[in-house]
Amino acid sequence: MTSAPFPNRPRVDALDKVLGATKYAADYALPNLLYAMQVPATIAKGRVTALSIDAAMRVAGVVKVLTAGDFPPPPAAQQGAPPPPATITRDIAYRGQPVALVVAETLEAAIQGAEAIRPTYAADATFTATIDGKGAVRQPVQPTVGGNATTAMVQAVTRHSAEYVSPAQHHNPMEMLSTTAVWEGGVLTVYEGTQGSNAVKGALMRNLRLTSEQVVVKSPQVGGGFGQKGGAQRHTALVARAAMLLGRPVKLVVPRGQIFHNASFRPKNRHRIEIGADAAGKMIAVRYDADQQQSREGQFPPNYHETPPMMYGIPDYHGTAANIRIDTQAPGYMRAPTPHPSSFAFDSAVDELAVKLGVDPVAFRLRHRATRDPIDDKPFSSCFLHECLSEGARRFGWKGRPLAPGAMVRPDGTQVGWGVGCGAYPANVHPNIATLRVGADGTTRFAAAGHEMGQGIRSTIEQILVRDLAIDPARLEIAIGDTSVAPQHVTAGSWGTASVVPAAEQAAAKLKAAIAELLAGRSPGGNLHRQLAAVRRPFVQVEVTTVGPGQGDKDVARLRQGGMAVSGPEYPAFTSFSYIAHFVEVHVEPHTRRIRVPRVVSIADCGRVVSPRTAESQVRGGVVWGISACLREATEVDPRFGGWLNNDLADYVVAVNADIGEIDVGFIDRPDMQFNSLGAKGLGEVAMTGCAAAIANAVFHATGTRLREMPFRIEDLL
Amino acid sequence: MRPFTYVRPDSAQAAIEAFAAAGPGARYIAGGTSLYDLMKLDIERPEHLIDVTAIRGLDGIETDGDRLRFEALAPMSAVAINRVVLRDYPVLAESLAKAASQQLRNMATVGGNLLQRTRCLYFRNGAGGVSAGMTYPCNKREPGSGCAAIGGLDRGQAVLGQSRSCTAVSPGDWPVALVALDAYVEILGRQGTRSLPVADLYRLPGGTPHLEFALTPGEIITAIVVPKAAAGRQSTYHKIRDRESYAFALASAAVALDMAGDTVRQARIALGGVATRPWRAVAAEAQLAGKQLTRETAIIAGRAALTGAKAGDHNGFKIELAARTVADALMIAAQRKPA
Repeated sequence: MTSAPFPNRPRVDALDKVLGATKYAADYALPNLLYAMQVPATIAKGRVTALSIDAAMRVAGVVKVLTAGDFPPPPAAQQGAPPPPATITRDIAYRGQPVALVVAETLEAAIQGAEAIRPTYAADATFTATIDGKGAVRQPVQPTVGGNATTAMVQAVTRHSAEYVSPAQHHNPMEMLSTTAVWEGGVLTVYEGTQGSNAVKGALMRNLRLTSEQVVVKSPQVGGGFGQKGGAQRHTALVARAAMLLGRPVKLVVPRGQIFHNASFRPKNRHRIEIGADAAGKMIAVRYDADQQQSREGQFPPNYHETPPMMYGIPDYHGTAANIRIDTQAPGYMRAPTPHPSSFAFDSAVDELAVKLGVDPVAFRLRHRATRDPIDDKPFSSCFLHECLSEGARRFGWKGRPLAPGAMVRPDGTQVGWGVGCGAYPANVHPNIATLRVGADGTTRFAAAGHEMGQGIRSTIEQILVRDLAIDPARLEIAIGDTSVAPQHVTAGSWGTASVVPAAEQAAAKLKAAIAELLAGRSPGGNLHRQLAAVRRPFVQVEVTTVGPGQGDKDVARLRQGGMAVSGPEYPAFTSFSYIAHFVEVHVEPHTRRIRVPRVVSIADCGRVVSPRTAESQVRGGVVWGISACLREATEVDPRFGGWLNNDLADYVVAVNADIGEIDVGFIDRPDMQFNSLGAKGLGEVAMTGCAAAIANAVFHATGTRLREMPFRIEDLL
Repeated sequence: MRPFTYVRPDSAQAAIEAFAAAGPGARYIAGGTSLYDLMKLDIERPEHLIDVTAIRGLDGIETDGDRLRFEALAPMSAVAINRVVLRDYPVLAESLAKAASQQLRNMATVGGNLLQRTRCLYFRNGAGGVSAGMTYPCNKREPGSGCAAIGGLDRGQAVLGQSRSCTAVSPGDWPVALVALDAYVEILGRQGTRSLPVADLYRLPGGTPHLEFALTPGEIITAIVVPKAAAGRQSTYHKIRDRESYAFALASAAVALDMAGDTVRQARIALGGVATRPWRAVAAEAQLAGKQLTRETAIIAGRAALTGAKAGDHNGFKIELAARTVADALMIAAQRKPA
């Protein structure tokens, strides 16, 4: 069994996006619409003791103010499922938490009404807003252990140890969080840009005591998700409740500052790493302690040991991790959630060890080949990290790079440095239930689990369907991100492609078989639409269910019930990861010390590339984010006040076009046929991993200064 | 966001009358790139907006004679690409082109830009608007309430000209270039016209940081006048910030040189991003006068420009950064072709 390379086709939604015709959830214009605005708490911890809605109700156009009393009490705990987000409560756990929702005939009136509400609080001055604060509570989780690192470290002749820090960061997708809710005929329909329409549905059912039949969630297009839109948002049930109480559609577009305060974010995290090498200069042992900022009740796991053991075949690994609980909203998944910061830390440490050993950092990495997962002791289904490194070095022109730092200086004093960094990301998979219908009228409709966040999942599905079926691509509808068309998973963790392309492939095969049976040997000619017309059949529809390695009926049942049924990266017979190697050139200004990144070469091993166009775009985006995360982004907390101080796009500094140079993307493009029938692993997340380390390593090579805390700013090299 | 009335008079005189008639709570609005933003943050709470953009004949650019004259409503983007400005006064063109984004520069006016308010995070995020959702003490917003930036996250705060009441940076680029070139503004009020050096338009915070500009209520800036100077050709606006575009300065320097060979006859130097108002660096200018310009004399001048600078908790680096920015700016300007 094999899978041939795919052609480079345009993305299916490119023209609409360029024309501005793409409709996002907040673009649905509904008649009789009301507008909502949340009132954020201005204390970091405590309780609302009084909240008068009178001033808000006096604002012309305000129709209702929802407060804590308008919501059912929190639902009973459910085994194995995290609780849905709280609605409006009198207890305040973090600054910016919603204390009321104002609903009005116009957006302006809703805002004016919200600003007229000034609750009385009993503030708890003992809150802790930073991980070094007095009330921070450290909670270790299970360590990650392979072999015996303590014993092995004693054998090491060269050791490197250091601490690396990654700041709190916010996703800031262009599309704001929003909800438009319609309550009609006992059915709640919610339009929301989300990566998890089923998760939103489940939270609404539990918070508002509705049945599955009573809730439909539609996420037609997501204007960037990056993990922030993976789970149910707190505001959704507020808006839905307002629509139910008022019997009119209600829309809330959450302002950027409120998103900073209520949505998830990447928590601050720290990494103390020791790596030991033997007399031959091979890494033999790792001791690695990680911890992260966490909210009091938050569940985002500190999985910092997900990828470092999978990179270089180091047999003895001991990793600890801990949450540090403080008073903030819950942190969560942000692109390459733990592998981005852990690859920054680990691949910086690997580089430092190579420097200590006096070995070229690419050659040093090539001394180590990972073939087995040392934690679960299973072979990798595929791992082409060496191929990524070799191809990247070739394209970048790595040969001839001076070993010593500070050796490449331009006549004007600009220091030039070249760095390499590697990363990995688990290859995960989710079951899928897909229906495919081809009509005699020229239409085709494919419905399955998946959300389009701009990553190109529709283009990926189209590749399979147009490869396998003689259909009219112009009239192909790909219905995803809608709980009424198919059970939906949370589309995240780079499992979107691997979870849907086998379903598309199987559905196409089943459909072809069904039509062949229908034709019973006749060959009317033309495409499938014409063939159906020739035999006077309006349409043929098939349904398929696909599962990943080791998955079965239980997982499919979980999908049907709206639960998470994701597997990986450990499967019964193997472990699967995607890999990437980045090569980065930095220029450091002689006097004012600005760091620039004029060129990057990134080579990924994501198995078979199904949609080359969108895949390249994903990697470029990952590199842009790597640059931005390493050199620009940090969300700042003033410990005296809590909350996030730089909560807009002017002061939360993301990279702009002028910060980005040339990015050359390549793929190994070798299918992993153990993983699925197309040989596709995953790509979106791995694209970013290792990029920050490559920059850090290049900065060291340029300047001789090792920076271990992101973001690197002007003052760090001054 | 609060309701307000809105009028759009077609002459400056009518605008002034409308302002007076509206009473307290009146605000002029031109491009709106700053005022609307501040209204959304609930910092500006005007009851009456008097839109000046329909005033006829107030957007001209004159470059003949012995001065440049930019009428207040000329868009930043138009002045930035004016041929004479580009050729003879790169410091002006660059100060405009390096500000904001092209979209904002198309809307924003050169007159309105002079009155842009600080980007201090505690000033902007603490007025209780629903987005930022916080109330921070701020003497600029609420006189007497205190200053949250002092002892807080002050990486972006001023190292020159600050007081115990306020450390907020004057955010502009254009005003810094104008101050270096001894520009003045023409002002129209009910009492008639007057002119004022741009440098004197900005007040030090002292104990009254809420009083930012030396304008009386109802006065309109109608034009900006820059006396022509040979030094304009060898000039630059050098801006260092946290990203390559679309950000305010961490440190910036407007420099114009009158050179005799490689000797400085006269240098004009002003700083942005580090001070509570556009900061003319007189000591640095004196330091350079009559000297050869070399990397060494440039950095000595840069350090002189920061004479008296005082750091807070996280912004000490700006003192060294600004000194080097001045030095780099001097070297860049010196490489340009003299008139």
